Amino acid sequence: MAATATLAGLRGRLEEVVGGEHVRTDVGALVTFSTDATPLERGSPDAVVFPATAEEVAGVLRLANELGVPVVPRGSGTNLSAGTVPHRGGIVLVLTRMNKVKEISDAELVAVCEPGVRTLELAQAAAAKGLLFPPDPGSQSTATIGGNVAECAGGLRALKYGVTRDYVLGVQAVLATGEIIRSGGRLVKDVAGYDLRRLLCGSEGTLAVMTELTLRLVPAPESSGYGMAYFPDLADAARAVSRVLASGVLPVTLEFLDRVCIGAVEDYAQIGLDTSAGALLIFGQDGNPAVIERDLERIAQACATEGATSVRIAESPEAASEVLEARRAALPALSRLEPLTLLEDATVPRSRIAEMVDFIQEVAERHHLKIGTFGHAGDGNLHPTAVLDSADEGAVDRARAAFDEIFARAIELDGTITGEHGIGIPKLRYLERQLGAEQMALLRRIKAAFDPNGILNPGKLGS
Amino acid sequence: MTIAITPEKVPEARGVFTPELLDRCISCGFCLPACPTYALTGVETSSPRGRINLMRALETGVLPDDDPTISEEASFCLGCRACEPVCPAGVQYGELLEEWRDHVWNGRRRPFKVRPLLWAVDSPRRVRSMGIVRRHAGRRSESPGPVNLMLGCFERVLYPRVSRDARELAAELAAPSAQGCCGALHAHNGELARGKHLAKELGEALPGTIVATSGGCAAHLAGVLGPDRVKEFSQWLFARDGASAATPADGRPRIGLQDSCHLRNGLGVWREPRELIARVGKYVELPSAAVCCGGAGSYAIVRPKDSARVLDQHLDEIAAADLDVIAVVNAGCYRQLQQGVKRRKLRTRVVHLAELLAGEK
Repeated sequence: MAATATLAGLRGRLEEVVGGEHVRTDVGALVTFSTDATPLERGSPDAVVFPATAEEVAGVLRLANELGVPVVPRGSGTNLSAGTVPHRGGIVLVLTRMNKVKEISDAELVAVCEPGVRTLELAQAAAAKGLLFPPDPGSQSTATIGGNVAECAGGLRALKYGVTRDYVLGVQAVLATGEIIRSGGRLVKDVAGYDLRRLLCGSEGTLAVMTELTLRLVPAPESSGYGMAYFPDLADAARAVSRVLASGVLPVTLEFLDRVCIGAVEDYAQIGLDTSAGALLIFGQDGNPAVIERDLERIAQACATEGATSVRIAESPEAASEVLEARRAALPALSRLEPLTLLEDATVPRSRIAEMVDFIQEVAERHHLKIGTFGHAGDGNLHPTAVLDSADEGAVDRARAAFDEIFARAIELDGTITGEHGIGIPKLRYLERQLGAEQMALLRRIKAAFDPNGILNPGKLGS
Repeated sequence: MTIAITPEKVPEARGVFTPELLDRCISCGFCLPACPTYALTGVETSSPRGRINLMRALETGVLPDDDPTISEEASFCLGCRACEPVCPAGVQYGELLEEWRDHVWNGRRRPFKVRPLLWAVDSPRRVRSMGIVRRHAGRRSESPGPVNLMLGCFERVLYPRVSRDARELAAELAAPSAQGCCGALHAHNGELARGKHLAKELGEALPGTIVATSGGCAAHLAGVLGPDRVKEFSQWLFARDGASAATPADGRPRIGLQDSCHLRNGLGVWREPRELIARVGKYVELPSAAVCCGGAGSYAIVRPKDSARVLDQHLDEIAAADLDVIAVVNAGCYRQLQQGVKRRKLRTRVVHLAELLAGEK
């Protein structure tokens, strides 16, 4: 919480910028903006503001910069790394009033929108014109596109289509000192200057506040198809994935569940999963129906070659929906086991997935924890999910110790401590181990160039 | 600002809420887009996740009972439970809301306008006398049968034709008038124990299966007496008749439906009324059919302005679709839509599903 003297009069000055009805300082409201979707991390802001325009955002930032008050930009608050938790107090800057899709152009394959548009709304607006916005993080129905760009969100289609950064053509952003800049635009080719739009993508609200986004769209695929395969062991599934990719097939979906997840999903959803299996692989392809049929057949073949105990290709959309249900139910099923769910996203090269998941299980057993792992087999993005009993006082400490080991191992395997959730608060202490001291210093210099007084999301990336 | 909302040590729980219910929320925020009051305001505080964070703050003593935001949000919530079907963690928000209001609305803090409503339906005798001058289906001399029609409290006064038409469609329904209110109004307005007691009393007055023509009553009764004993009218009728292939005739009326929130979100019943409507008209799914109309039990009386704001979208859609009829399956929605349609001078008729089906028989 910022110094009381500075805060006296803060509300009045914020009201001058955005209007009285768009500032909240009641303790109840502050409580509800003290967290996001990250467990255990919280911090009370001093005020919450809801600007409607880039000019209002600039006004808030100029004021905060003058007073030295932290500003935490926020969309819908679905962050999983406490990136929108105001742990140093200050102002939470909520961008959900800036929620207009300004343009969807099927001739230019671009979308222009404000940051507070929900990602699913954008995808639907694109779909209405026969276009696809590929990044589909699990939270897309709630999360805003501004937040997805700021975190460089991934999703289930990343292997084939890439992640959010691959679709950001241009941004309008407000600097911490109040200037409004534009980087990039509607062009596919544009190398004038440093690529600031890419730098802002994944900057976690620490460099600037994005107020308009120009995004690349692609033609929507005609159709999609899915299948599933059980393996005695995750290592078999991982080999199957390598074989699929080597065979010239780039699937849109390659998701896996480990043994713990299969058991949890079956207990919860009772959809007839084979709980004796060591791994479940869910695969899918989109595009032309003939290509889908050919690719699914090849994937099934690769799975069989690598020892799959059973392989099934969904013959109808209903059957496909059943296949996908197992993956959709993974997090709900795990989260219902215990009151506290810690979801991480350590990522390794896909050839190391089996090794990593075995290590996670070994760590879980050693620390007396229940950790289920599911994730994106195609891109090595794992979601080890620890479920804890809040009454078990030592459990959180044991989970932290376990994740210390898991992150260290991910780095050893040429992986990363975070594939798509971001550094935020809990993973900042691991970052130097991955990037090294020199790069950390460079990050801080970049941060200082954008935000000389350190008001934007302080105590996180670049700190 | 001196209130610490990040206490060093987690304070003792006060016991306002059932811990397992409150623990279940993983704060993912998937409920936000489903919430009508979040849609109106865009403010986290007025979303299900925000309200659960307020409940947690109340439970741990971070916020006091008389905190103005707590009071406002306990009342601003429609209680529509649209957050429940979209929740991946299975949070039973409706139960949490009942416990919340039970705590914060006890005694003096209950909204003034709710008190006479609760008083009126608090005793079965009073409920019976309310309906005495209206021609509902209830018969004083009739004994309960294997399947009994619930007459409702306000429904028997405001819409007595609903129970008459339900009986016309299903003569096997017994309708003794010696039955009180189901207690939903109490449960939703801070008298949880009384609400459950009234439901049990009704269960004793009507042994066997109870069929309710209001989704809200059916959901509350099913919550107390169990879903095997309690069926909502469309659910029961559809199960009785099965899917029937009504031959579609040209020029049939265009009919929309307003889902009953607790019927849909609490009991998972939404397909049945649509199937039944399709037998007598051309069913038109309105974009907001599944969204609360703002009637929300006593909400329209307690918060008329917010209730009207929630209703506006529905009226826009009814007008745009140029419906002949909008069908309802709950007394509160009936009143809400009737008033809205009248205010806007729309040509659309508001009709309960039982009336619609009986009229076409």
